[in-house]
Amino acid sequence: MSVTVAIRRYNSETGGEPEWVNYTLPERDRMSVLEAFMHIYENVDPTLAFRFGCRFNKCGLCAVEVDGRPRMACFTEVKDGMKIAVLGRMPVIRDLVVDRAAFFTALRELQLYIPEQEDAGHTQIIKEPETHKKLLLCVECLACNSTCPNFEFKKNPFVGPYVFVKLAQLHFDPRNTIDRRRQAKDLGITACTQCRKCYCIHGINLHRDAIQILSA
Amino acid sequence: MLVKKTDVLVIGAGGAGIAAAVEAARGGASVIIVSKEPIGYGDTRISLGVMSTSPDPEIGDTEEQFVEDMIRGGEGLNDPALVRALVSDALEATAMFEGFGHIFGRDDEGRLARLIFPPGGHSASRAISSPGVGISMGHTMRAAAARASIDVLEETICSELLVRDGEVVGAVGLQVASGEPIAVLAKSSVIGAGGAGSLYYPHTDCMPSVVGDSYGLALNAGAELGDMEQVQFLPFGITHPPSMLGAPCGEPAMAGPLGKLMNSRGELVLENIMPMTRAQVARIIMEEIRRGGATERGGLLLDLRPNIEADGGELFVGLMKKMGGPFLDIIRRAYGEKAANLQEPWDVLPTVHYVMGGVKTDEWCRSHVPALYACGQAQGGVMGGNRLGSTSLTEIFVFGKRAGKTAALEAAQRNYADAPVAVEAVRRLEALFGAGGSERPVRLKRALQRLMWEKVGPLRDAASLEQAFREIAGIKEHAKDLRISGMKRYNCEALDAIELSHMLASAESIVVSALARTESRGAHVRSDFPERDDAHPIRNMVVRLKDGNCEVRPVEVHA
Repeated sequence: MSVTVAIRRYNSETGGEPEWVNYTLPERDRMSVLEAFMHIYENVDPTLAFRFGCRFNKCGLCAVEVDGRPRMACFTEVKDGMKIAVLGRMPVIRDLVVDRAAFFTALRELQLYIPEQEDAGHTQIIKEPETHKKLLLCVECLACNSTCPNFEFKKNPFVGPYVFVKLAQLHFDPRNTIDRRRQAKDLGITACTQCRKCYCIHGINLHRDAIQILSA
Repeated sequence: MLVKKTDVLVIGAGGAGIAAAVEAARGGASVIIVSKEPIGYGDTRISLGVMSTSPDPEIGDTEEQFVEDMIRGGEGLNDPALVRALVSDALEATAMFEGFGHIFGRDDEGRLARLIFPPGGHSASRAISSPGVGISMGHTMRAAAARASIDVLEETICSELLVRDGEVVGAVGLQVASGEPIAVLAKSSVIGAGGAGSLYYPHTDCMPSVVGDSYGLALNAGAELGDMEQVQFLPFGITHPPSMLGAPCGEPAMAGPLGKLMNSRGELVLENIMPMTRAQVARIIMEEIRRGGATERGGLLLDLRPNIEADGGELFVGLMKKMGGPFLDIIRRAYGEKAANLQEPWDVLPTVHYVMGGVKTDEWCRSHVPALYACGQAQGGVMGGNRLGSTSLTEIFVFGKRAGKTAALEAAQRNYADAPVAVEAVRRLEALFGAGGSERPVRLKRALQRLMWEKVGPLRDAASLEQAFREIAGIKEHAKDLRISGMKRYNCEALDAIELSHMLASAESIVVSALARTESRGAHVRSDFPERDDAHPIRNMVVRLKDGNCEVRPVEVHA
């Protein structure tokens, strides 16, 4: 039995309204949403734009919205009637591809790194907090930003859970020398309504381990 | 025509590229880094994060011993000068990457902690882990790139290097998001764009973008590649469902002391797997499959149950859960809970993990083409015929750093080329959009990938390789007649077309090297020459491009 899915298509070059298009897929054992994209691109419509990486839920590149929730395309099974769209609240280049450029700029402009130290040529004594290890599991898929009701890319692409996770990572890094709570405050973390709608596909407790820590 | 100028151009933004870019900037050079994916999103970021650091004198380990292990593992194909460089710089590279922001595994006192069990082929434990696996290295790499004063071109694929009077003077690339070509004029150019695992897609655990850009760029600029036939297969990969094909599920060590490989008829194929190399196990699996022993899913059955049933079985399960977590997650997803609890055998098939061959360089990463450098998996000669586990992360940081340093230093002696040198290359990119031929790039990519797995896989012979050679020539012809939509922004077909050209060059270099090596050595297994040739001196297979075709010549390894 074949299944049909709807994909929201959009081209920022030509503008206009996004358009839902139905695609019928062949039967395959536990077909993933990513396999559906590849099938369509290779056999049906060569103009479908999508981004993907490792195929095995490690790299965070293929996050899309499936029936209104962020999901990794590679690890989500296709079901009949599924509606698939680009991640919400993000600038869109085309179809399922968001513009990620701002999220590298954020690293630079907000100094989301530890300060450069004299290279001693050997390693230091470091005690890594457990929460730091947990926060490093972030694959930067941007699902958290796409589910945050307060995140408005056009207003400020840096004010969203993604940057708060980065700030919290650094807050827990024993080598950090910048006041990351101060930075979070200056960015406006106090405007967070604690609604807990920000969602992490990889199970990071965003509210407890990032938002609350930085708001303290 | 958009043109930028820089002292040092770095192509590739995984571990090797970022280390090179940061080091070049530290050396005072202006730097542009070109990344096909977002910055930092290469194979390094999806690795297990386990890396060899320096030998620990407290356990009696020495640099000489480490060098010896790598050359024994590489079956003598390694360039000893490169191996010595890797070993002598291993600690410095570890410190450098922690300086970028990473934290490797520590003991309770906060000191760097080496793993209890060394990966296969190491006579002592030098490997350190990353508590946040590869993804934590990704955070570090992106942070390091952001911290350094380097210019970044994200999601930009290099189509060709610019060559003037035999010297590399920059590169041309396509910015995928906008569809705009860009030319970068550079005094030094570093290739650190990884290997070619996805030349075998879906039979690989590498990023799909890792298709041999490094080798295609280098060959076309006149550089030499060494031992390209040496493609490393992890012995254990997933066979089904199709979305999981190629996912890695283990090293030989994963089999434990009592694990067994069985065929579809329930007959024993192999035991005592644990101390064997990746290549040895992959070879035995493929030989049995060729004899007709495959399951209906196409693999063999890896049965770990004897480990649990023996004395100390619980200890084994505990250790597996601790050490093999990421692999067990993959198993659970593909084969279910019982399999992940080791109570059911796993259907396994080798999967491509790494390319040992690559650009021939000296120990300071200079290729023999002036102003062209290579580092990391792009570079050849470090690993010989078989890479020991945990050494590739050492390789990228050691040689990334060396490449960046040399490239910055030597840039000072060179001048920029004039922009017109890039005009034709930019035109070639512009011509892709709306190309009205009859072949879709992605279909040709898939045909080539299928061919590589079927004819140039873990088990080869003259007939399969010659057929591959002919079919590659055919695909090359078809690639002159592409059909591509005219959409500018994020045009996946244009990206595929550029990748296809790198893939064809890489594939051809692998095939001609594999044909020329008439023995089985390292990861290269010929069913028509099943033995290693120990009667003659050990030789590297060196490839260069002549009139658009790969030409191979054997060169004796000198110690």
